[in-house]
Amino acid sequence: MLKLMKLEMRKIRIGNYIRASMLVNVVILGIICIISLTEGMEEEGLLFADYDNVFSVIDTLIRGTYIVFAAVLISQLVIDEFRNKSITVLFMYPISRKKLIAAKLLIIVLFTLAADIVGNLFVDVGFYVLNVFASVVSEPFTWFDAAHSLLTIVMSALATSFLSLIPLYFGMRNHSGAATIVSSLIAVVFVCQNVDGFSMYSIIAVPISLALLGAAVAYISIRNIEQVDVLK
Amino acid sequence: MTYILRTKQLTRTYRGKEVVSNVNLNIKQGEIYGMLGPNGAGKSTVMKMITNLVKPTAGEIEIFGERLTDTSYRQLGRMGTIIENPIFYEKMTARDNLDLHCEYMGYHNKKSIDEALELVNLKGIEKKAVKEFSLGMKQRLAIARAITTKPELLILDEPINGLDPLGIKELRDLFKMLCKQYGITILISSHILGEIELIADTIAVMNDGKLLQEVSMDHIAKQTVEYIEITTNDSSKAAYVLENHLHISNVRVTDGGHIRIYDCHIPQSEMLKLLVLHDVEIDGVHKKKGSLEDYFLSILNGGGIVA
Repeated sequence: MLKLMKLEMRKIRIGNYIRASMLVNVVILGIICIISLTEGMEEEGLLFADYDNVFSVIDTLIRGTYIVFAAVLISQLVIDEFRNKSITVLFMYPISRKKLIAAKLLIIVLFTLAADIVGNLFVDVGFYVLNVFASVVSEPFTWFDAAHSLLTIVMSALATSFLSLIPLYFGMRNHSGAATIVSSLIAVVFVCQNVDGFSMYSIIAVPISLALLGAAVAYISIRNIEQVDVLK
Repeated sequence: MTYILRTKQLTRTYRGKEVVSNVNLNIKQGEIYGMLGPNGAGKSTVMKMITNLVKPTAGEIEIFGERLTDTSYRQLGRMGTIIENPIFYEKMTARDNLDLHCEYMGYHNKKSIDEALELVNLKGIEKKAVKEFSLGMKQRLAIARAITTKPELLILDEPINGLDPLGIKELRDLFKMLCKQYGITILISSHILGEIELIADTIAVMNDGKLLQEVSMDHIAKQTVEYIEITTNDSSKAAYVLENHLHISNVRVTDGGHIRIYDCHIPQSEMLKLLVLHDVEIDGVHKKKGSLEDYFLSILNGGGIVA
């Protein structure tokens, strides 16, 4: 399985994705910096009142980004293979079709998971450093807070990585990359609003059920793959 | 004689229409087996069923002595295939594509990539991305891909599409060589009779999803006959002279002033001398072999199909 995943990553040049995601993290950190440095000038309610709030905004931004990233991966790894018919080449190899597709989905899930966690940590640490100099948030940051935040990040990333498979369902219906991306944007709108630190995503049932839905989509796409015609 | 591939009553239906119906193929080990038929005859569909890309509605396929099922992955590893258009990962180079193919096939002798590229004459451009290739080059690369892993059975669906005449000849020689030297069994399809005729040991003629005939070339060679064709402006007179003075009865007058003489035991010179003596103008003389085309057209027409 590891070998299959390596081969898949070679095909899509995963390095490009990693570079792009690093760039995106820097941009998000930039946005956070700009918000935190300009926000104090208005006298309305402070968005960045404490770490919890700041981290929640960061998590929301990162999540939205990587759901779309995952959709791009889905469209390149899965949808494009069907559309270019290169899947016929793949399915003529002496390897179980289930394994071939599972390798692709696993890359998507693991990439999203890792990128989500790394992105959060990077921007959070960046904000912490900024705070040392600019003191946006005045409350102290303890080890307990850090551990708590880390747990939240990991749980949220887990849910995100699975729910990011939902666009696969819409993409596969007509083998359309556009449908994949659009449905991921709709998913982003749904799970990434953040009103005063409150988002749909913070109702624990929402991320869990969406993650389960993503897992179900993955299961459906693999279940019958051995029996179907690949070409008409 | 062992059979490497057999199909039994193989049938496939699309939306209620049978595109392949009750096809029984018997492909012997070490032969080149040609599938011949017009476009849409069901050749590709048969090949897709053999490679497991399309599932049969009824009937079964036996490859390497085992029945092909949804999970016959081991058998797939022993075949090299080209189905429909040559498909590659276009952004990758030719070599990377072949390398990837070897990895997936679990074939680790990377030297064979160079050998295969050399065999199809693609040496020197393997560092180019496939998207810059012409159709003919892709076709060659697809053949290279199919043969790198030294398969036991090579399945080639219209492999000479998009190639120039010289390229076609090169590949024909290559296929023959692979068959003779490496003992690879080849299943090849084409709608061009002349190609199949030159290469195949056994020919299956398909039309409208049905197998019309499966016949060995040796058998056809025995059936086809030689004849002399004389072109003249007065064919009826020529025929009269030949029949009356040389007692050749097997003479046929065809359209456009040709006469065909199927009786070859009388020397050509004698016939011509006699015709000249009787003032028959002769525009040309050809010795011909009854072409396979005639034979197959008769099969296709005999099946009640307008070719």
